[in-house]
Amino acid sequence: MMDATVRTGRPPRLPVLAHGIAATVLVGLYVTLFLEAESQSAVLGLLAVGAAAAVVAARSGVGTRVIEVLEHHPVAMGLLAAVLVLMETWLFAERHFVLLMITTYLLYVTVGLGLTIQFGYAGTLNFAGASFYGVGSYTAAVLTAVPGFPPLLAIPAGGLVAAVCGSLLVAPVLRTRGHYAAVVSIAFALLFKTFLEVNEVLGGPQGLLVGSLSVAGYDFAAPLRPWPGTEWSFYVHHVLAALLLALFAYAVARRIEHSWLGLAMDAVRMDEIAAACFGVGIERTKVVAFVWGNMLIGMAGALYATMVGFIAPNNFTFADSLIFLSILLLGGLGSRPGLLVAAAVVVFLPEKLQLIQEYRFLLFSALVLVMLMFRPEGLVPRPPRGYPGGGGGP
Amino acid sequence: MGGRGVRVRILGVAVTFLLIAGSAAAKETVYVAFLGPLTGGVSANGIGGRNSADLAVRLRNADPNARYRYELISYDTECKPSTGVQVATRAAADRRVVAAVAHYCSVVALATVHVYHRFGLPIVVWGAVHPDITYGNDYREIHRINGTMINQNEVASKFMRSLGYETWAILYDTTDYGKGHKKYFTKYLQENGGKVLASFGVTPDQQDFTAELTEIKALDPQVVYFGGLTPLGVRIRAQMERIGLTSQFEGTSGIMSDAYIEALGPLAEGTLAFREGAPVDKLPGGRFFVEKYREQGYKEPPEAYGPFAFAAMNLVLDIIERVGPDREKVRDALNAVKDYDTIVGPVTFDANGQNVVPLITKYVVQDGRWTVWEDSAYARGERRLRRLGE
Amino acid sequence: MVDAALLAQHAVNALMLGIMYALVAVGFTLFFGVLDVIKFSHGDVLTVGAFTGLTVWLALVAVDLATPWLAVALLVLVPALATALLGALIGRFVVLPLKGAPPLNVLLATLMCGTILREAIRLFYPGGANPKPFPALLPTTAYQLGNLNLRLDSVLLFLTGVAIVVALHLVINRTRLGLAIRAVAQDAEIARVMGIDHVRTVLITFAIGSALAAVAGIMHGLYYNEINFSMGLLLGVIGFSSAVVGGLGNVYGAILGGFLFAFLQTLGAMAMPFASAYRDVFAFAVVIAIMAVRPTGLIAERGVERA
Repeated sequence: MMDATVRTGRPPRLPVLAHGIAATVLVGLYVTLFLEAESQSAVLGLLAVGAAAAVVAARSGVGTRVIEVLEHHPVAMGLLAAVLVLMETWLFAERHFVLLMITTYLLYVTVGLGLTIQFGYAGTLNFAGASFYGVGSYTAAVLTAVPGFPPLLAIPAGGLVAAVCGSLLVAPVLRTRGHYAAVVSIAFALLFKTFLEVNEVLGGPQGLLVGSLSVAGYDFAAPLRPWPGTEWSFYVHHVLAALLLALFAYAVARRIEHSWLGLAMDAVRMDEIAAACFGVGIERTKVVAFVWGNMLIGMAGALYATMVGFIAPNNFTFADSLIFLSILLLGGLGSRPGLLVAAAVVVFLPEKLQLIQEYRFLLFSALVLVMLMFRPEGLVPRPPRGYPGGGGGP
Repeated sequence: MGGRGVRVRILGVAVTFLLIAGSAAAKETVYVAFLGPLTGGVSANGIGGRNSADLAVRLRNADPNARYRYELISYDTECKPSTGVQVATRAAADRRVVAAVAHYCSVVALATVHVYHRFGLPIVVWGAVHPDITYGNDYREIHRINGTMINQNEVASKFMRSLGYETWAILYDTTDYGKGHKKYFTKYLQENGGKVLASFGVTPDQQDFTAELTEIKALDPQVVYFGGLTPLGVRIRAQMERIGLTSQFEGTSGIMSDAYIEALGPLAEGTLAFREGAPVDKLPGGRFFVEKYREQGYKEPPEAYGPFAFAAMNLVLDIIERVGPDREKVRDALNAVKDYDTIVGPVTFDANGQNVVPLITKYVVQDGRWTVWEDSAYARGERRLRRLGE
Repeated sequence: MVDAALLAQHAVNALMLGIMYALVAVGFTLFFGVLDVIKFSHGDVLTVGAFTGLTVWLALVAVDLATPWLAVALLVLVPALATALLGALIGRFVVLPLKGAPPLNVLLATLMCGTILREAIRLFYPGGANPKPFPALLPTTAYQLGNLNLRLDSVLLFLTGVAIVVALHLVINRTRLGLAIRAVAQDAEIARVMGIDHVRTVLITFAIGSALAAVAGIMHGLYYNEINFSMGLLLGVIGFSSAVVGGLGNVYGAILGGFLFAFLQTLGAMAMPFASAYRDVFAFAVVIAIMAVRPTGLIAERGVERA
């Protein structure tokens, strides 16, 4: 099958997609069991099963094939993923907390994709991820308080404002390199949080109330009544919104990676001087990556704010930026499938495993450190670029 | 109201019937929650409150006449609005939890009242003092057993003026809590003819205050007023000494904790603070509380607001015993509480769920203890506050 | 209008902050000098130093040996040795093995190291999540010069800081060890060819830098009489910013950067007394602005560009 892929450049459709379908069904089954599991021993048991399955998938090459399917059938796999999330939402429609976790997961995936474009593709390290998430959140808080403003527009507006704030930082980030660029984004992260804490207009350290989303008078914060006698959690709305956003972000990131722009970003990351020699506009490439990344992060932040209904500067600390970056490094830098796995580990694990709840920061930092030392390519490494029909398989 | 009362009564009878029927079976377990800062700068107050609420639950479980067996779930808000909203959502989304005794920190209470309303979880606030927690909304789920900062600052300003102080500099943390203290203290001080020379907002995790205090030193006020919590209070008092600022230090209920005295040692001497409610150890119920608290062998002291947490939890348990473990019924019963006797005095909730407590007690640190002003060597004239009569 | 004594008081406050920032910044710059890496666990190594100091004090109190001068000596020596060891260990087992990896991986790995240290203190030190009172061990005699209040303990702390900076200057410029450090910093390959033990020099440099952090942490504790588990985070970032503004790899630039940052903060509070809380915003905004204008710091790096 692999050989066929390389030779013809077009994968034989049905059998390969079947892998994807089978994987989706299995993952769905597993996620359902995992979310349902209450006792700690059940959670631990499921974790062991999951880890074993992952190892088997990796050893047998099934994992690689699933990732291939993900790349070659984006629409079909996107639909499948959407169906999976919808199934889970339906199964847990009355359980607030499970839905909250699912939404958080989807938002973290979106943020991770934004950072992937910046750091994973273009190599611009952003230590202020949580700050841009915060910019989006605060934009949503301010806009939903404006009478007559259509609340749904707060989401793209959050992205837009985050992108604009990001471009203010672009000048120093572009002029500086490596460590110096890192200090600029760290300084911005601290500046942003201190600014939020001391200014009076945006609620100070107290924080701000955020209005809920609504479409034509239909309130997202009210319980959902699909038919008489049934009441679903209002979080169902937010899962749906976050799902759309995550799919959009995934499509953007995939599109960028597979375009000339993505190639230029890779070149800039690997070697700026060589890239410049081949006529890649370094500054332009970095700016595009930075702006697109912040846009996605800001949109996720805006949706987050309308979901929780209340935001404060402490939601957006340097430690949160580090957690976002951990997702990238755990999954494998630039690897979108890896991101999906790593975000699940970071979001679901501490919530289900009470044992580690308190120790989660310690554990994740240790995990990332171990990864950096012994497996810097991450859990699911980004495959080398493949060119359909051009040899050098995917 | 009448209809609800009847319904409550009918249900009460029905439940009693059921209970008699099932009296042979084991008691049903009912979950109640406690929320407070269990880690971070003001954790001493949070842990004291948690222990006190836990004491109420333990005493109830030891009572053979209780209808239910209670289990307390504690949540740590870290005194941060963001964490507070997360754990409040967790508690409120957990359908087993019938009611909660929640919040020492005003910032967290202000942020979370919407969450309780959204999920319909009735709560009783045990320590947060910002007026808007009860008066800033019309949520029927929110109740508060302690008073607000308004009365506290009114009494404080009148008292300080009556001592003869003329000039103040105000430091406050820039949360709504600190800003509230600044607002009400300034207002009542001006009404009483006192003069505020300058006000400085500081961030809630600021370490160095020497720049602000140097500016204050130039203005030379008789009193430095601080509207904020213990950790900053400790730092400011210590750094006043470092740069040689000799003004009298006046705090609010936010610095009333054993932790304040422990951290400052002799420097704490003479610090003033104000708290609502009668001094607990003077009431008979208060002495009962102190004794039982000691019996249970908690490692940490109950701190200034422990009695309020105990009283709030007792109130909640009494009501669950009466109306059964149902959020709506507990909420309605709480709204109707009137002249209910507790260890912190009688409790009556007004239309906003605020307990009407006019009493404020004045405290001064004397020999390493928060002492009621009237009983102190300062009131007797044996010791003098700083800068008095200049 | 402005009282000279008050201005002096502000200057004293700023100098105290400055010397602490400078000590942290020097560490960053030393690590970068010898290995071209950012060791971001530095701030949290400082916290470990401060908590070690507190533990030593509590132990001394427990065995009834808490005489002030002995305590001060042990409170500086033990944490300095402990963090020197810790710094060298992080260097040996985290930084050196990542020598061939992209430089940002080292930054991230040490950042994670720092988080591990910080979280470990929060979770495993008794009551580690709360601010801990730190003993005031130095004499608190105060001298009044008009409106200027100068406390003996502040003066002693400042002088200690200056003495350490001078000692470091002598070590780097007057000893064989300093020669080795400078050689490695200038060109590691040539230094190796000349028979300088690369690993040993790097690890000793890491130990020295980390010991400086412990001293800064103890100074912080003695000055504010309080330490907490997150103190190293902000101090680390400020120290790092100072080192970068001064030009990474340049010891004197780092010291300059430290004092510059402290003066910016104090200036912020003086110039805008109505909004003194904005001073950190102000200070970080200036750092970003400086980075935009002089991308490699105020005192530019010599030699080839390091990125």
